[in-house]
Amino acid sequence: MSDHANDVMKQYQAWAQQSWDAWMQSLQRPASPFAPAAPASSDDVLSRAMGGLKSYADWLQAAATSGIAGQGQGDWQQALQQLFLGMGQPAAASPFMGAPFAGTPFAGMNQPFAQAFAGIDNAAAHGFAQQWQSWLQAMQPRTGEWNAGFGGDSPAFGYTRERQMQQQALLEAMREYTDASNRYNTLILRANADGFERLREKLAERTDPGRQIDSLKALYDLWVDAAEEAYAQIALSDEFRDAYGAMVNRQMHVRQLQQRQTEAWCRELGMPTRSEVDSLGKRVQELRRELRAAAGGAPSRASAPDAELDALRSEVAALKRKLSGRAEAAHAPKKVVSESLGAEAENKRKPAARRTAKAAPTRGTQRTRK
Amino acid sequence: MFTPLRIDPAKLLGEVSAFQRKLAAGMESLRGMHEPEYANTPREAVYREDKLTVWHIKGNGKPTSKTPLLIVYALVNTVWMTDLQADRSLVRNLLEQGEDVYLIDWGYPDGADRWLTLDDYLNGYLDRCVDAVRQRHGLDAINLLGICQGGAFSLCYTAMHPDKVKNLVTMVTPVDYHTPDNMLSHWVQNLDVDLFVDTLGNIPAELMNYVYLTLKPVRLNQQKYVSMVDLLDNRKEMENFLRMERWIFDSPDQAGEAFRAFIKDFYQGNKLVKGTLTIGDKPVDLGMVTQPVLNIFAEQDHLVPPDASRALGKHVGTTDYTQLAFKGGHIGIYVSGRAQREVPPAIHQWLRSRD
Repeated sequence: MSDHANDVMKQYQAWAQQSWDAWMQSLQRPASPFAPAAPASSDDVLSRAMGGLKSYADWLQAAATSGIAGQGQGDWQQALQQLFLGMGQPAAASPFMGAPFAGTPFAGMNQPFAQAFAGIDNAAAHGFAQQWQSWLQAMQPRTGEWNAGFGGDSPAFGYTRERQMQQQALLEAMREYTDASNRYNTLILRANADGFERLREKLAERTDPGRQIDSLKALYDLWVDAAEEAYAQIALSDEFRDAYGAMVNRQMHVRQLQQRQTEAWCRELGMPTRSEVDSLGKRVQELRRELRAAAGGAPSRASAPDAELDALRSEVAALKRKLSGRAEAAHAPKKVVSESLGAEAENKRKPAARRTAKAAPTRGTQRTRK
Repeated sequence: MFTPLRIDPAKLLGEVSAFQRKLAAGMESLRGMHEPEYANTPREAVYREDKLTVWHIKGNGKPTSKTPLLIVYALVNTVWMTDLQADRSLVRNLLEQGEDVYLIDWGYPDGADRWLTLDDYLNGYLDRCVDAVRQRHGLDAINLLGICQGGAFSLCYTAMHPDKVKNLVTMVTPVDYHTPDNMLSHWVQNLDVDLFVDTLGNIPAELMNYVYLTLKPVRLNQQKYVSMVDLLDNRKEMENFLRMERWIFDSPDQAGEAFRAFIKDFYQGNKLVKGTLTIGDKPVDLGMVTQPVLNIFAEQDHLVPPDASRALGKHVGTTDYTQLAFKGGHIGIYVSGRAQREVPPAIHQWLRSRD
């Protein structure tokens, strides 16, 4: 690229940075004391959108200086790899990396999928990581002491025996969660790598004039298709199912142990605990059911005769179906009529039924008969 | 042999700067935009209990159908998807067709609802909602339209209370939870649901939303917002976008016990099609559903795969079963232009011939 183009890009990048700063400021406060703040709805959307948009904008800028443009017969694969995987670049310069990754397993990795996961501003997803960090900081003096004194595998004893055991269990649970989380993240990274390979394959099919990619947005959209395909394949694998289940289960185990410790502290301070509130809620709900049943309202539990009647009903229905199946097999095959709304519809009627079903004669409706 | 990338350097610079310009201008257009309202078709509350409300939706004319239609929505997200905006409203279109429409707004569960079971929801709340509508019309049975999880609830309810349902319509309803393309189901198979619910209590809506977003992570977390930039200078389109965002993220927490049973019995156990499901003490046998059934599903549904819905035909007891496939996705079946033209008339005509 010429010096002039580089100058233009430098000026442009400075201007773009100002734009981003303005956006970020607009999220934090009104533009002036007299102007109304942007309403909550647009704030929410902007917050959610910001991570993805910033990554995309950075990627555009990186693309502008990457040499991806003007590739005659050059090595487009190398340029592509540079652009999407940022080989050899520091993470901060990567198009898909940003602040959301600090302190996460994705830190230091050039990994487009990481943005999609970690970039989302989601309390439920990230709250746990933050909670964990705070917990570790708060517990550091004690855990250090216990680890130094007794070690994770040492038997607990003495006046603080119960506390030691709780803490050892929590440390072990955290270690297990880290392992499970790393296993899951490895699969996400693999999905990203597979996505890039798929992108390369898709591009290799587009060398004919007329099918070539002529804009960054088109290249990005193609990458999204490739990335989602790769992700879907991995997400439906047995390996992913196991890793996903393990990660969630381990995280829940950590949370549960944390809750137990918190409750112990609450009891010491005379504060009501979550377990106590739950217990009360459960009793109230049970009382409501009993009250309603006693008042003769719609019972939430079937009485014994009702349950018996229901069981008999099911049995009769099953027998009827069995008999009906035999009769059909003996006399006539089940007729199946297909009708379509847009594309496909199917109407199943057994011979005895009236035949009035018609799909609405709407536009785009097709009817076929099997 | 040519390169697949034919990006002109000058065009590239133009593309990059155009994106930034749109973003910068977008800040101005977003400022002052208020949260878009839903369609808010006129309605009247006819029954309330705890956090739920049964709304009677008011049309311009008198309904022509003799039997009212009660919409049973899922516990996840809100029922206002069916009345999203004036020109994309399932309920408004059903009213125009002549249906008499009621819908259940389940509300937002909190800690007090932690112990609500599926039995409480189906044989309690839903049954009393159906009774309320039946009593208003002096009818033994009414029509039900169940959506997504609400469709599964409607099937269970109809099997348990067959005398109270005249016709049943199910939309994007999962029936077989073990089809190979069901990503949500795949993910929860190894989940320790007891540990999950015992730890979290009610399941936070944000967590549910996060899981849905990770079904298509790049498309839903990034590409959608990149595409939004092209809408920033179009106020009407931006309002539509923001309205959809509002609906997606304004969702209720899930009552812990009901969630536990739904994941265990439906997603993990697949008991609805195995015929081994019980709710409370009542067995749920799809063979007991002998009412006419209209089953509508979306061919590009990433939440409820078409095969998960199609399975109903094999298991339902009725001799009058109609199945319609819609070309679109889980949400598009309510809000796309094609949906407005095709779905409400199809529902109405099917119901009218059985009224």
